[in-house]
Amino acid sequence: MELPNEPKAFVKRHNKSVYDCGDFVAKEFAEDKPASDVFNEALNDARANEAGLPAPAVLEVSCPDGRWTIFTERFPGHSLRTQLKEGADPKEVLTKLVKLQLKVQSASAPLLNRQKDKLARMIDSVKELDPSTRYELQVRLDGLRNAENVCHGDVNPSNVIEDEEGNLYLVDWAHATRGNAACDVAMTYMLLTMRDGKEVADLYLDLYSKAADMPKQEVMNCLPIVAAAELARDREDDKDFLMSWIDVADYQ
Amino acid sequence: MAKTPKPIDSVEALQERIASMRAAQAEFATFTQEQVDKIFYEAAMAANKARIPLAKMAVTETGMGVMEDKVIKNHYASEYIYNKYKSMKTCDVIEEDDAFGFKKVAEPMGIVAAVIPTTNPTSTAIYKCLLCLKTRNAILISPHPRAKDCTIAAAQLVLDAAVKAGAPEGIIDWIPAPSLELTNELMRSADIILATGGPGMVQAAYSSGKPALGVGPGNTPVIIDDTADVRLAVNSIIHSKTFDNGMICASEQSVTVVGDKTYKAAKAEFEARGCYFLKGDELDKVRKTVIINGSVNAKIVGQRAAKIAEIAGVTVPASTKVLIGEVTSVDPSEEFAHEKLSPVLAMYKAKDFDDALAKAERLVADGGYGHTSSLYIDVREKEKMAKHAKAMKTCRILINTPSSQGGIGDLYNFRLAPALTLGCGSWGGNSVSGNVGPEHLINVKSVAERRENMLWFRTPEKVYFKKGCMPVALDELGTIMHKKRAFIVTDQFLYKNGFTQPIEAKLDEMGIVHSSFWNVAPDPTLQSAEEGVAQLRAFEPDVIIAMGGGSAMDCAKIMWMMYEHPEEDFEDMSMDFMDIRKRVHTFPEMGAKSYFVAIPTSSGTGSEVTPFAIITDADTGVKWPIADYALLPNMAIVDTDNMMSQPKGLTSASGVDVLTHCLEAFVSIMHSDYTDGIALRGMKLVFDYLPRAYDDGSDVEARDRMANASCLGGLAFANAFLGVNHSMAHKLGAFHHIPHGLANAVILKRVMRYNAAERPTKMGTFSQYGYPHALARYAEAGRFCGATGKDDREVFENFLDMIQDLFDHVGVKKTIAEYGVDEKYFLETLDEMSEQAFNDQCTGANPRYPLVSEIRELYMDAYYDREPSSYED
Repeated sequence: MELPNEPKAFVKRHNKSVYDCGDFVAKEFAEDKPASDVFNEALNDARANEAGLPAPAVLEVSCPDGRWTIFTERFPGHSLRTQLKEGADPKEVLTKLVKLQLKVQSASAPLLNRQKDKLARMIDSVKELDPSTRYELQVRLDGLRNAENVCHGDVNPSNVIEDEEGNLYLVDWAHATRGNAACDVAMTYMLLTMRDGKEVADLYLDLYSKAADMPKQEVMNCLPIVAAAELARDREDDKDFLMSWIDVADYQ
Repeated sequence: MAKTPKPIDSVEALQERIASMRAAQAEFATFTQEQVDKIFYEAAMAANKARIPLAKMAVTETGMGVMEDKVIKNHYASEYIYNKYKSMKTCDVIEEDDAFGFKKVAEPMGIVAAVIPTTNPTSTAIYKCLLCLKTRNAILISPHPRAKDCTIAAAQLVLDAAVKAGAPEGIIDWIPAPSLELTNELMRSADIILATGGPGMVQAAYSSGKPALGVGPGNTPVIIDDTADVRLAVNSIIHSKTFDNGMICASEQSVTVVGDKTYKAAKAEFEARGCYFLKGDELDKVRKTVIINGSVNAKIVGQRAAKIAEIAGVTVPASTKVLIGEVTSVDPSEEFAHEKLSPVLAMYKAKDFDDALAKAERLVADGGYGHTSSLYIDVREKEKMAKHAKAMKTCRILINTPSSQGGIGDLYNFRLAPALTLGCGSWGGNSVSGNVGPEHLINVKSVAERRENMLWFRTPEKVYFKKGCMPVALDELGTIMHKKRAFIVTDQFLYKNGFTQPIEAKLDEMGIVHSSFWNVAPDPTLQSAEEGVAQLRAFEPDVIIAMGGGSAMDCAKIMWMMYEHPEEDFEDMSMDFMDIRKRVHTFPEMGAKSYFVAIPTSSGTGSEVTPFAIITDADTGVKWPIADYALLPNMAIVDTDNMMSQPKGLTSASGVDVLTHCLEAFVSIMHSDYTDGIALRGMKLVFDYLPRAYDDGSDVEARDRMANASCLGGLAFANAFLGVNHSMAHKLGAFHHIPHGLANAVILKRVMRYNAAERPTKMGTFSQYGYPHALARYAEAGRFCGATGKDDREVFENFLDMIQDLFDHVGVKKTIAEYGVDEKYFLETLDEMSEQAFNDQCTGANPRYPLVSEIRELYMDAYYDREPSSYED
């Protein structure tokens, strides 16, 4: 497969670009992207798709011009992010997102990576946190109930597509793991807080908590963990916010 | 200090260290109580001496808490723990009961993995090390990285003192630079985990696969009732909440005051004593500072109130003791409703006591399950206190007590054990609900010697016998007992034939009014007993006289029970037991309404002296066997005059029943010297007099002796019980209507051979019954009855021949088939009959524990007259 001559970009960032190629989508990574990351992402896409989830089918992984590119199925429709921008009621939009997230979490994909391993690795890589804080976060993570929920790891309005019939699709499975749903929800709560504000995030948590019958405390307990993991992505803009969520003590 | 071992800085180093600690601990395990107590003493002294420097170190390193309060904690951890457990036996034999042959032996568990928190690092280290020394365990500590230096210093100090006092080198050790990997490896490698810390750490401990004493967080709610001493309450709370800047896990987190008046008084007292009530936006500032997303902000833990206010951007006097937020919601979305680990307190107003309880329950449910709750109240308010105690799902409920100092025990109540690890029970996901002490760190071995069961010999208080004794015995009812109303229970035949007339005449003579019930069927039914009871209740006798064979006496016993205790249920009473003393249902006392006299008219059942009765529900066909000493008659009158007219068939059937009673009681696993003599005499009388009584029913001496034999048999099996012969005979009667005595006789010799096996499949379970020896018992019985032979086996065979001769004489048939039992029907019912015989109450006392299949074979052998198999396994 090849990119069209003047492809329309959905997303263009310093490390990747995502192009709309009509029948398919091409995700082109920066030159320094390790091949293992690319294959892992494609593998996650494939695993989610094979688990019967509304994840894009992988069509091809290739490296034209020294840039790894994943070609996947293209879902028709618009993202929930677009709907929000166009003034849709946040409650309606988030209800759809929660519905999709619950569907994904209830699926089984036993070969996905383990969430605890991934988070532990990420927390460990954040050297700007002092070792005692990292230790406390690791203990908190280690104490989480072991579970086998499929966790997309980046559920947010930009990654959810809705077609005209109201079918929902989830894209960008780069961070998918299997593990504790509360951590996955904490990640969404954090992303919403950073991008859409606390009010929207609280609305989401309320909707999720009721739909899943999960106490909010269980999600809150994971916030310092996902905040620390997010620090590992080294996004300067978010740093102060994330740090304010991390420095908490465990009850004794 | 001796050698410095290699620090534990990798999984390999940890494993190496654990191996050497195991060796040290193995040596420690051989120490005597005296050696251990000396080490315990010296270690406690050393820790106590260092309480101030350790407190200083802890505050400097962690930046939390109050030095002077940490001194108290260190002092407490050494002195109170020592004092509490100095005399406790923790080594070897700790409890001994010679009479019961029982002792408890304490052994150490091995290596204790100890997780120590930042909030109480030195005191917890001292406490855990002392507990381990007292119990001869090794302890390997994983300190918290924020408090590792002071934790290690405390452990080092205790170690040095212990080693100096004789403890093995390296019995206490630690991970100098803790990591999650090492902590988890430690927990996996240790023998038990003593985890104090946050939920994550405790969860990890429980997940390690090793037994864990993990304890959880608290969220202590306080209620101040409108009957409380407000001044005592408020100052106790301040005293507790400011202790080490609120870092004790039992510390108050919220106070709920009942009623406006008390609320105002409490608020005024809090203010007067230097607490600060947050106003306006100050509340929200502190709220968001103290709790971040439901977790406590690490920066405020164990800080002074003024410092916390400063961080929140609120100005308060520097001397402020506690920051108080007046809030209304107890939902977790309210930050003040959480555990705050600092001198910050939520205050609620409750409209009444129930409202306060509801709030406290909600607060406990969110983060404090199983920990501690507290109540200030006038202790005369027993009802409210009970309601509170019932409602709180907390393992410590403190009354009028500062909860920090109160929860750790021995300061405000002297039965609550001192501890710095407080169990929260299953509510808190913990394995312990009390304060952790040495008892949690020892394995207790119970050494139980074989002991024999107490046995008994129970009979009616009066057993009168001899030809013509009945009127003499009955005289007592009037002249001595002054009975007024007698009720006679008998069967139709006896009544119509005038058997009761001598009784009635005697009663008339004494002026005792009487009534009779004679509608007792041969297999007495519940329905006929109920009919009789209706008459009994109407007549209200003070003595019941049962006259007849087993049926009339059984029916009368049941009527007696129903008369005395109409509330009793047959299903409960008839439940089978393994040991009559341990049965589930307890029988009520008898005799409040009426005395019970039993007068037999046949020489067989012995029911006049037994505690048994069988009754059949005619509607369902269910037989209820009732057995309990409550049913034992008070007086038995064995008068040969009542037995002279027994027909030949009854003489024979009841006579061989007596022999079976005596033989089964003699070989029963519950036989005793008391029953043996009676059983032997009873069976010999049968051999000597049954043929004569059978041949000539008017032979008074023979009748007299058989009457005695029957009663002796009853006395023997009333105490030693019977065996599988009776179990099987019961079912032959139930399924195939063979008269009871004959049903016993037709299988007796085969069952004896079966029981006499020296290599049975299984033997009976009873501590007195040491090994299979029914053969020797049968031989002893045989010799007593006149059988001879060169050894037990030969005597046994000759004894069986004697029994066969007796059976031939009195007309006992040789097979079940000969009693007219249809072969097809027999085979159809065989399996069910075998299983029911196995389940019969009599089976339990048999010397050989039968398999259902063995009972089935015995039935088959007795039906077809098959050669007896060897019956060995």
